Amino acid sequence: MSDLLQSLNPGTPPDARSYVERAEIDASLRAPVLLFFGTGVAWLLLGSLLGVLAAFKMSFPHLLDSADWLTFGRVRPAHLNIMVYGWASAVGIGVGIWLMARLCRVAPRHRGLLIGAGIAWNLGVLAGTIGILAGQSRSIEWLEFPGWATPILFVAYALIGVWGVIMFRFRRPGHVYVSQWYLLAAFLWFPWLYATANTLLIWQPVQGSVVGAVNWWYGHNVLGLWFTPIGLASAYYMIPKVLGRPIHSYYLSILGFWSLALFYSWNGMHHLIGGPFPAWMISASVVASVMMFIPVITVAINHHATMRGHFHYLKWSPTLRFTVVGAMTYTIVSLQGSLMAIPSLNNLTHFTDYTIGHAHLGLYGFFTMTMFGAMYYIVPRLVGWEWPSAAMIRWHFWLAASGVALMVGSLTLGGFLQGLELNDPQVAFLTSLKTVAPFRFVRACSGILLSAAHLVFAVLFIRMLLRQGGPRAEATLLSPPEIPAV
Amino acid sequence: MEAGVILLLLGLGLLSGSALLAFFWAVNDGQLENLEQAPEVIFDASEPMGEPGDCFPDARSREARARASSNDSPR
Repeated sequence: MSDLLQSLNPGTPPDARSYVERAEIDASLRAPVLLFFGTGVAWLLLGSLLGVLAAFKMSFPHLLDSADWLTFGRVRPAHLNIMVYGWASAVGIGVGIWLMARLCRVAPRHRGLLIGAGIAWNLGVLAGTIGILAGQSRSIEWLEFPGWATPILFVAYALIGVWGVIMFRFRRPGHVYVSQWYLLAAFLWFPWLYATANTLLIWQPVQGSVVGAVNWWYGHNVLGLWFTPIGLASAYYMIPKVLGRPIHSYYLSILGFWSLALFYSWNGMHHLIGGPFPAWMISASVVASVMMFIPVITVAINHHATMRGHFHYLKWSPTLRFTVVGAMTYTIVSLQGSLMAIPSLNNLTHFTDYTIGHAHLGLYGFFTMTMFGAMYYIVPRLVGWEWPSAAMIRWHFWLAASGVALMVGSLTLGGFLQGLELNDPQVAFLTSLKTVAPFRFVRACSGILLSAAHLVFAVLFIRMLLRQGGPRAEATLLSPPEIPAV
Repeated sequence: MEAGVILLLLGLGLLSGSALLAFFWAVNDGQLENLEQAPEVIFDASEPMGEPGDCFPDARSREARARASSNDSPR
């Protein structure tokens, strides 16, 4: 127990005691969480810029091609890796450590470990990005950072994983909330996935088609066993917390967690349908992908039933608005993914822009929107200040939502038409490229909307850190209870 | 290549195995009992059930939240 808590008068009412307890946890985590959030937002801006540039290069191939480091083959993997490791992972770690400390209900230990890990993590992303832009990309999807950059990321992450396990080990006795299950799993799964993939692809590299198997085992599991648990952990905390009512069914939440843990790790091989792999590998993956209906539907029922009768809250809670859109997108993208694993449909979508749309729906529509929601809840509690502008929050939401809808819509429709033509032997390959070209231009334009959303959010975030805007007695922040003098 | 496949399968087995181990720990520790009360652990005396915890920083949203707070009752 902390000094401040111990110093409280024994007659301190329970609400004041729990308020002080939470305030202490927030104060302890202020520096590390804001480090992950702040650097994450910076990477988000850079990643958006590179993403828009790469997207417009699909329509205008000679755009900014005078410098080697601005060519498509470097800009595109730089965008992807910055978004995955610089933005999504960093903000996911920030949300994850805050939630873990809140749910363990103990003041965080070893705060320096987290700060050191945050600095090292960003150095690793910076080194990897420079490596890619300098032409040292490894050409392995999701793992393009050069081999000399990945150990930095691994060590940084290992520190975070160790911190998570220590927090869980010394948690206050009681029930382990479902978000803690998801977070603990994510903290343990990611270093294991990353180390295994790097061992098999870099340090003791496998050869031939097995590279593809390892690559997609890793690529898909990063989504399902790293980003998904963090996103769901956040949604399972934020939705009931903002509504002020518990989740509809704890049974369903537990069923959803354990079925995800059992089925997801087999999913990656469905990316290799039609490839030179043993049939049983593909079949097992397709079956596991369809089995994912179980965790996805349980989560969907649970979140919807919790929200039922309270959807009007979306009008006035930024946290809820972003989180619920993210949670609904989780259902859509997951069911879509399971269907795409069925070979007859996979024949149509494989090697088309449809898959790119699916990936953006998952990492942006679900994960990023959920993380924005979490940040709108967490940052005021860390900074002790209110978001400075409701209008900017609304602009952020509508730009992000319309941007991702336009992006996914154009890629999905374009990819569908592309798939039909690729499967028709009477249609020349070049024709399929001409068909998809206008959709790719629309996708590039949607990137401008998303970049504008990120710019608005970055300005909001900076104004928040500078404590701009007038102080407010009550908005996002709940009024503190009166604490009796010691 | 064979070594790679073996390592990959070993990895899959370990991943699924760790999930199973954690599941058995949860059963033995009583984490799967008394699930009716479990979702209430995120609330406490200063952030109680029935009190919405977030809104846009403007007067209209604050009033809406206050109304919702007075109309809603904890489950």
